[in-house]
Amino acid sequence: MKWVTWEHVGVDRMACAWLIRRFIDPDATFVFVPVGHTSRLPDAEPFDIPGVRLSHYRGHCTFHTMLRVYELADPTLARIARMVDEADVVQEVALEPAAPGLDLICRGLRLTSPDDQIAIERGAFIYEALYAQLSGAAGH
Amino acid sequence: MSNWVVLVYKIPREPAAGRVYVWRKLKRLGALLLHDAVWLLPDTSWTREQFQWLAFEIKELGGEALVWESRMMLPGQDETLVQQFAAEVDASYRTILTALQHAAPDLSALARQYQQLQARDYFQSPLAEQVRAALLAARGGDDV
Repeated sequence: MKWVTWEHVGVDRMACAWLIRRFIDPDATFVFVPVGHTSRLPDAEPFDIPGVRLSHYRGHCTFHTMLRVYELADPTLARIARMVDEADVVQEVALEPAAPGLDLICRGLRLTSPDDQIAIERGAFIYEALYAQLSGAAGH
Repeated sequence: MSNWVVLVYKIPREPAAGRVYVWRKLKRLGALLLHDAVWLLPDTSWTREQFQWLAFEIKELGGEALVWESRMMLPGQDETLVQQFAAEVDASYRTILTALQHAAPDLSALARQYQQLQARDYFQSPLAEQVRAALLAARGGDDV
């Protein structure tokens, strides 16, 4: 399936792209459109674009919305959602010290990647590592 | 000179929770309220996205919002605005400095306040360095 989102991916869009390929659609392909563009590509599911189904909702990031929409009830994914929330959406309560670091690393990954396609592939390594570490016995 | 992103919005009086949510979010973003009407942030890809998202949240809450980019047209306007932004964060930095002078300050709480403040210190206040140094000194460390 084809998925579409805004270019200049950061912490949330990288997390979503990883989640889609890992848990929702292993054969996903991604299309990037300019920021501010409200894409109506006929055959593509939009995500992390204001106003679409898979988007920020009630102060939560798109990653959080995706867990709800696709009924992914995995405590490790919920923990990652909390981190992305704190990194991407301004939050009053901060419980995840890794969140600001995750944000910086994802921004830096985009800066050092030639395009968004490569940035989400590199971002997937970060989220895969985070998932492995957090789902281990200790969980931290 | 600088570009700014601007937000104006209207939201139903009830339920109050929605109205309060938007207001607090704007304060956390460090947006400047001008003449009780217009919210302003310096234009960066991050602030731009934050306002775009907030505008959609306001619509979800039954309100209306407009967001646009702007540029000041009179001499000195940019400087005045930068000073207003600086005055807001500087007041908060000073609060932390004062708290650090009390006996047994809550260092982890103050460090957290400092971090949150950094996120909305758009013009890099010189006080930030002072607070950072004071926090490290209070901890008794000798590293940078």
